[in-house]
Amino acid sequence: MNDQALTDAFYAHVMGGGKVEADDWMPDDYRAALLKFVEMHANSELMGVLPEREWILRAPTLRRKLALTSKVQDEVGHAQLLYRVAEDLGKPREQMLADLLAGKTKFHNVFHYPTRSWGDVGIIAWLVDAAAIVSQQALRDSSYAPYARTMKKICWEESVHIMHGRDVVLTLMNGTDAQRAMVQEALDRWWGPLMQMHGPKTDPATDRDLIWKIKSKHNEQLRQEFLSIYVPRILELGLTIPDPALRYDQAEGRWQYTEPDWDELRSVVTGHGPMSQQRLEFRRTSRDDTQWVRDAIIGPATVAAA
Amino acid sequence: MDLSTPVRDALAELLLTLADDEFVLGYWDSEWTGIAPMLEEDVAMSSVSQDEIGHARAWYELVASLTDDDADRLAYGRAPEEYRHAALMNHARTDWAFTVARRFLYEHADAARLESLARSSYSPLAELAVKMRREETYHLMHFEIWLRRLAEAGGEARERLAAALERLGPDAATVFSPLAGEAALVEAGILPDPLDALRSRWLERVGPVCEALGLPAPDGAAALPPDGRTRRTDEFAWLHGELTMVARSEEAATW
Repeated sequence: MNDQALTDAFYAHVMGGGKVEADDWMPDDYRAALLKFVEMHANSELMGVLPEREWILRAPTLRRKLALTSKVQDEVGHAQLLYRVAEDLGKPREQMLADLLAGKTKFHNVFHYPTRSWGDVGIIAWLVDAAAIVSQQALRDSSYAPYARTMKKICWEESVHIMHGRDVVLTLMNGTDAQRAMVQEALDRWWGPLMQMHGPKTDPATDRDLIWKIKSKHNEQLRQEFLSIYVPRILELGLTIPDPALRYDQAEGRWQYTEPDWDELRSVVTGHGPMSQQRLEFRRTSRDDTQWVRDAIIGPATVAAA
Repeated sequence: MDLSTPVRDALAELLLTLADDEFVLGYWDSEWTGIAPMLEEDVAMSSVSQDEIGHARAWYELVASLTDDDADRLAYGRAPEEYRHAALMNHARTDWAFTVARRFLYEHADAARLESLARSSYSPLAELAVKMRREETYHLMHFEIWLRRLAEAGGEARERLAAALERLGPDAATVFSPLAGEAALVEAGILPDPLDALRSRWLERVGPVCEALGLPAPDGAAALPPDGRTRRTDEFAWLHGELTMVARSEEAATW
C-alpha cells in the first residue's frame, strides 16, 4: 500500500471502532493530535497536584491527612502513567516537562485557581474530580488502546477520590454554621471554572479528536452528563448552586444554564489565570532545587533549549 | 496486663515518643508529595510518609486507650512544648540529601527500637511493633540505597549528603534520650532493653555504613543532651502552626 492507502485504511479502522497499539503504524496527524491530547492530560495531573498539596500539612485529622496525601500521590502516579503513554508517542518526558514549565503547553483550567479554605479540599476532590471522571470514563473507549487501558486504572482511583471529597463536604455540611458557610463559599468560587472545564460547545462534525475517536464524547455531552449526576447530589446536601438560570428543560431533555465565561477560560488556560504563573514558578523552583539529584542519579538532562 | 499507675504513665510517655517521632517526620516528608526529585520517587516517598502517619495513628490510639484521650486530640490538640519527638525531627525538610540523611539515621534507630519492642511484655505494644517492622524494613532499604547512590555519585550530591550528616550528627542519637520512667518499664519487661543499649546497637549499624562510604558518622561517645525530646525549634513551631491551622479554626468541630 502507498502512504495514502495506508492512511485511509488507518482512519477507516479507527472510525469503525478499531484500536491502535503503540507499535502500530499511525499517520503523523493522528500521532500529533493524540500526543497533544495525552500530554495536556499528563500536564493537568501534574499541575493538579499543587492546589491540593497546599493542604497536605493542614489536614485537620489523622484520617483526612492520610486520605489527602494518598489522593495527591495518586495524581502524581497518574501523571507518571500518562507521561509514559505520551513518551511512547515519541516525545521525551524531560522535553514535555520543559515545555510545560516554559508555558508552551497547557494544563486544565481548574488548576489555575487558588485554594482558600478546607472547603476547597472537599469541593476539588468531589466536584472537580467528578467533572474530570466524566471525561475520563469516556476516554476508556479511546481508539488508542494504551491510553484507554491507562484510563481504566485512573478512573478506578478517581472514584475513590470522589468518595473522599464527598465525605469531606458532607462532614462540613453536618458541622457548624461556619463550616457550612466554608463549603458554600468554596462552591460559589468553583462553579464557574467547573462549568468551563469541559470547554465550549464544538461541532462534533469538525472535531478531529472525536472523529478519530481519541475521545468518544463531545464537550457539551460531558457537561450535561456532569450536571445530570451532580446537580441533584449538590442540592441534596443543602448547598445552593450559584446560577439562577440553571434548570433541567424537560421538553429539550437537557440542562439550561448561564453561558459560561469562555473569555475567562481562554485567558486562564493560556497562562493568565489567578495562579497560573505562581504555580508554574513553584514547579520551576522545585525542579531547579532537585536538579542535582537527577544529575547525580540519571545524568544531566538533555532537553532542547527553550 | 495490670499496670500500676507509675508504669502506665511511663508506658504512655514511651508510646507518645514513638507516636510523635513518626508523626512529625511523616509530616515533614509529606511535603515532598508532588515535588520530589522524580515522579517515581514522589510516589514512593508519599507511601513512606503515609506509613509513618499510619503508625503514628496506631501509637496515638494506644496512648489514648491508656489515658482516656483521643488520637486526633493528641495529634492536633497539643501545644508545641507538649510534643515529645526527638530533636532529630525538629529540623525542616530542607533538601533531598538532608531528607535521605535523616531517614537513614532514623530508620536504623527505629529498627533497633522496634526489634526490641517486638519482645515487649505489653502485648498491644509488641503486636504493633511486629507489624510495623515489616513496613519499616522497606523504608530502611529504600533510604540506604539512596544514601549509597548519593555518596557514590560524588560531587555536589556527596557534598550535600556529608553536610546533612554533619548537621544532623549532634541530634541523631536523641531518639534514644532517656525517659523518666524508663527503669520501671525495663523492669516490667515492657521495654526489653534500656534505651542506651539500643543506642549502642544503632551505632554499630550506622557507623560502619558511614565509614565504608567515607561519610561522617554520628559521634558514639558524645553525651546525650538533657533536652533531647523537649527542645523545640522555630522550624517545628512553623510546622505546628500549619498542621493545627484548620483544626484550630473551629474549636470542637468535626472534620
